[in-house]
Amino acid sequence: MTTLEIPHVGRFDVQVWESGSGEPLLYLHGYERHPGGAGFLRRLAEDRRVLAPEQPGYGRSTGVESFTDVLDVALFYRELVESWGVDGIDVVGHSLGGMFAAELAVVAPHLVRKLVLVNAFGLWLEEQPAPDPFGAADEVKAAKWHGEAPKSEPTNFEPDPDDPHAAILFAAQNLGSATKFMWPIADRGLRRRLPLIDAPTLVVHGTSDGLLPLAYAEEFVRLIPDARLAPIERAGHYPMVEREDEFVTAVTDFLKG
Amino acid sequence: MKFHWFAQHYYTKLPQDFGDTVRSSWVTPPASVADPTQVGEDYHMYLRLMQQADGLGWDSLLLNEHHQTSLAMTPSPNLLAAVLAATTENAAITLCGNSLALYNPPVRVAEEMAMLDALSGGRLIAGIVFGTPMDTAFSYGVPPIELRERFHEARELILRAWREPEPFAFNGKYTQLRYVNTWPRPVQDDVPIWIPGSGSPETWDVVNDNDYCYGYLSFSGKQSAAPIVGGFWDYTQSQGADMNPNRMAFTQIICTADSEAEAERQYSDAVKYFYRQNPTAIEFATPPGYNTPSAIKANLTRAKTQSAEERLKATRGELSFWEYDELGYIIAGTPERVEQRVRELATELRIGQLITCMHVGDLPEEVAAQNNTLFGTQVIPKLRDVWGEEEDRWTPKVSQERVAAKFGNGAGLPV
Repeated sequence: MTTLEIPHVGRFDVQVWESGSGEPLLYLHGYERHPGGAGFLRRLAEDRRVLAPEQPGYGRSTGVESFTDVLDVALFYRELVESWGVDGIDVVGHSLGGMFAAELAVVAPHLVRKLVLVNAFGLWLEEQPAPDPFGAADEVKAAKWHGEAPKSEPTNFEPDPDDPHAAILFAAQNLGSATKFMWPIADRGLRRRLPLIDAPTLVVHGTSDGLLPLAYAEEFVRLIPDARLAPIERAGHYPMVEREDEFVTAVTDFLKG
Repeated sequence: MKFHWFAQHYYTKLPQDFGDTVRSSWVTPPASVADPTQVGEDYHMYLRLMQQADGLGWDSLLLNEHHQTSLAMTPSPNLLAAVLAATTENAAITLCGNSLALYNPPVRVAEEMAMLDALSGGRLIAGIVFGTPMDTAFSYGVPPIELRERFHEARELILRAWREPEPFAFNGKYTQLRYVNTWPRPVQDDVPIWIPGSGSPETWDVVNDNDYCYGYLSFSGKQSAAPIVGGFWDYTQSQGADMNPNRMAFTQIICTADSEAEAERQYSDAVKYFYRQNPTAIEFATPPGYNTPSAIKANLTRAKTQSAEERLKATRGELSFWEYDELGYIIAGTPERVEQRVRELATELRIGQLITCMHVGDLPEEVAAQNNTLFGTQVIPKLRDVWGEEEDRWTPKVSQERVAAKFGNGAGLPV
């Protein structure tokens, strides 16, 4: 557990999953939950140091109430990265974490070397309104996956034998924290700031994502000065789960190149 | 005890299969179902019934705020309250309430409530509510995780706006105003404040810390409500806070008739219409972030006094009329039976403020008017002794005095 005291903002106790050594990589998880030590993270950690904090307000990470807006989140991650004593870091952000990763690249161009956005939230396309990621559970589940939903989705949740309701509370708390930045529409003005990103950017997108049509990824590519698209076919909102090999290859090739 | 006249301003001409065919009667019900001319006629009916109740001894006329629903066509209860403030004499006007987090700047609520208090000569009860998830998170787009903080910031601003003699600046997280100087101010020095809730311990703290009246406004009746109402009183006692029964408001559907057979004949269809025509999509009822973790825990661990099957049958209109009565969803029958059942309810759950729901669903106006007459003349006078000795700081002095003057000993004022 890492504790950050940011003057005039608040105190954050942050759970950080860390593995590997070498060049540092910051992984920011999606709107539902931290994936724990999922296969794709372990593979990324084979030749680099992966640091995957759990977002404040999710699981055991605290401090979401100290955020007034998404700028606070970007400044929080800047503080967190600096607390690791690194002078530059590659950043991979998935889903809501993609929104935060892009904001971080805007406010901390000196820190963010390369940026990977994976099925990222943050934009709104009037001509292709994205469905409600907090809608009916069965509809969201169907929208997220290209194929059959896996039996269990990657998670850092640990059942508590003393609390039969722990899983319900975990999900409610995580998604509740996501509403701060995604409700009623996951647009906090990122469009106006994407043109300021200096970092070379790869926009990875599971093309069957029912929550975010491919047009959203294309819009990221259009707005970020140095960006290219890496579509992953036969994958939905979680390409790193449905197409782990393709995902890891696309990301590592980009980061090495 | 006191009586507050209420009806959900239901749309009275829904297609008979509405409840079976729409996904949700909240947030996304097809607007084409409601004919605006009919809605206008419905408003007039509800107003007539409330004006009648003012002349029968009710202590207040109560209105609520809901959005985008066929259950209650009162997105702005303040508009109807204004009509009542100008056309009634005795009863208080209870807004129960205004959803504070939905108005920015919230001084709008301070202004409208002050207008109503002025217009009614000091008869306003200011109910302030979080609002249902359907109203707040969906119809008005407030991020659920911000709702409570927005509510409390607005509450503090409104109370200051009523009290501070000089203009002041307010630098909040959600509202910034350089010059707060609300005109007019309320007539009452301390406008009575009610906060209805759904059993969240955080709300109980606010209610107890500020000496407000709490309310549990469900339509599921005594049996299902007992754990929450009892939970509030246990908590209040454990905190050493005020146990005055007048700090508890509770909703109860009332169906009074000359005989039990008449009650079933007159009300049964309307009661079933009320319950079965209101399907609420699960995702609209339980958005993440709306309930705090402690409220979720309290809900999950609270004793269930009703089976899921019974609950489901109730919401589908599949219980018999007398099963609804037995489970407490409704209190039906002759004035004598209704009196006895209300007495039990108010005594057992320690309720000083009973919100009587006198019209349900598509009940014909003449039946509701008869309900008013029977309950107002034959039930209310006999129940004035319940908690009659308890001080009541949660209804306006003016309405207490006027109801007592007109309806005699035991009405309105403590004996």
